[in-house]
Amino acid sequence: MTDSAGEPLIRARDLWRTFEGGRVEALRGANLAIPEGSFVAVAGPSGCGKSTLLQLIGNLDRPTSGEVYFRSRALGEIPDAAAFRARTVGFIFQSFHLLPTLTALENVPIPMFEMPWPSWERRRRAADLLRAVDLGERLHHLPSALSGGERQRVAIARSLANEPQLLLADEPTGNLDSESAARILDLLKSLHASRGMTLVVVTHDPAVAGFARRILRMSDGRIVSDAPREEAGP
Amino acid sequence: MNFLTVVLKNLLRRRARSLLTLLGIAIGIAAVVALTSVAWGFEKSWERTYAARDTDLIVTKITSQSPMPAPFAETRKAEILSLPRVEQATGLLSDLVSIEEAPAVLVFGWELDGFLWEHLSLVEGRWPAGDGENSVVLGVVAADVLKKSVGSTVTIETGDFVVCGTFDSGAFVENGAAIMALPQLQRITENEGKVTFLNVRLAPGTTPGEAEAVRAMIRERFPGMRAFAAGEVAQNNTAIQAAKAMSWATSLLALVVGAVGVMNTVLMSVFERTHEIGILLAIGWKRSRIVRLILYESMALSFLGGAAGIGLGVLAVALLQLAPLTRGKVEGEIGPALFALALAIALALGVLGGLYPAYRSSRMHPSEALRYE
Repeated sequence: MTDSAGEPLIRARDLWRTFEGGRVEALRGANLAIPEGSFVAVAGPSGCGKSTLLQLIGNLDRPTSGEVYFRSRALGEIPDAAAFRARTVGFIFQSFHLLPTLTALENVPIPMFEMPWPSWERRRRAADLLRAVDLGERLHHLPSALSGGERQRVAIARSLANEPQLLLADEPTGNLDSESAARILDLLKSLHASRGMTLVVVTHDPAVAGFARRILRMSDGRIVSDAPREEAGP
Repeated sequence: MNFLTVVLKNLLRRRARSLLTLLGIAIGIAAVVALTSVAWGFEKSWERTYAARDTDLIVTKITSQSPMPAPFAETRKAEILSLPRVEQATGLLSDLVSIEEAPAVLVFGWELDGFLWEHLSLVEGRWPAGDGENSVVLGVVAADVLKKSVGSTVTIETGDFVVCGTFDSGAFVENGAAIMALPQLQRITENEGKVTFLNVRLAPGTTPGEAEAVRAMIRERFPGMRAFAAGEVAQNNTAIQAAKAMSWATSLLALVVGAVGVMNTVLMSVFERTHEIGILLAIGWKRSRIVRLILYESMALSFLGGAAGIGLGVLAVALLQLAPLTRGKVEGEIGPALFALALAIALALGVLGGLYPAYRSSRMHPSEALRYE
């Protein structure tokens, strides 16, 4: 596996994750290093373990064995996993995962409750983020009144709420039509360029992976290739 | 947006679920309010009765746990009158008897020259003229319930009595009762020469210590007899205690049903929102904040349900007071104490009902909860 010079932002060592008492092996000894500021796609067919890998990197789940390090610190040693997720990681999911009872402007500040910002500051930041994803006209709409692409843009705005250093996107265009998908990918690309955050996108779609600078290919719970986009192949 | 706004929006934007939960809690609390109000009203009503009679001590015979006191010889009155500080004493017999269609009406037999009559005001007609007269006076509520007026005849147990007057008392219990001369009630209940209570007035200026000494003397000299201060009688009355116990037992049942209802609804909402809780955990909410979210929601519902339940309970008591079967027998005691009790119970239900679901939600693992659809 390849690595960039200097200490990577994320490093995973021999990650195993099994379910059902070991009968299902989702990850089988994955190793990786992701430098700060990179845009990485994790590609592979459904069920190859890429979403599991993303959850372990984001500290949403714990490995059966092995460890994930964030700036050399083992995630297992971080006492407050929730605070780590709130302050350091932004998540974007395939199914958007917005709270159905809250409007766009109310969904975006939800992660900000863990930050020491007053209510008016949270609201201002949320409105700014929604304008940044071109939803200034949809602030007071409930998710049910938004299109799929708009919902995903709300979710992206929410993922940026606490200015995370790491943005993790799990099939962010999986539920979108091609036009909305292209718009979301452009948005992610421009956010990555303008904010300089590290972006890891999990996808089974080669077109989506094509947007990243580096592609990790997975198969059967293992990372089988790790190469810059030009060399990654189809 | 602050944390409480999230709680509020969750409730307001799931109106059907919130309203159904609220209704369940309201019904439970309404039952508690109505039953407790009636039990307290029953006790208060007796307290007012004794206060209205301006009686210092009530002498009665302690028996086994019969709801009505046991009759004793009215000759005891002379012995009581001979005690120091005792100025007046008057005997009365009371019984619950059926009067025509009404199954249980409180009937008093009073000495015609006793002081008990002083606090009644005649509304119509006259008072009974003599011990031998087959006449009765009816409280205003009793006259209304029995549909009798002055000049009507009422059949009490086996005898016919002419309604010679109607009266108003400050006490609800007496307004729902019939009063006749003591010997008449002694005759029809086959208690000749017996009374159930002696009402005693002590000399003006009697100190509480001296009154206590008189009570002790009665206990000592007349085994089996007890003297209560007027306010204590209601608290020691077996019928009242039984009514209170029954109302508390029923209230407790209503509470258990209410608590299970709240817990079930909150638990269902937690199951229903497993995925949502997963999202909150994933984006960095602390477990303690999620516990607070669930608890605040259930407490808000319980508080509102409690308030609605108080309204429903008050309405139920008003209907009971008007319903033909219970009119004249029920008087609700409604006030801030009852409202505070009902709201405290509702809030306790909210905390108890939300506790397990909140605990359960806090144990969820974010990646598992996110997979849950």
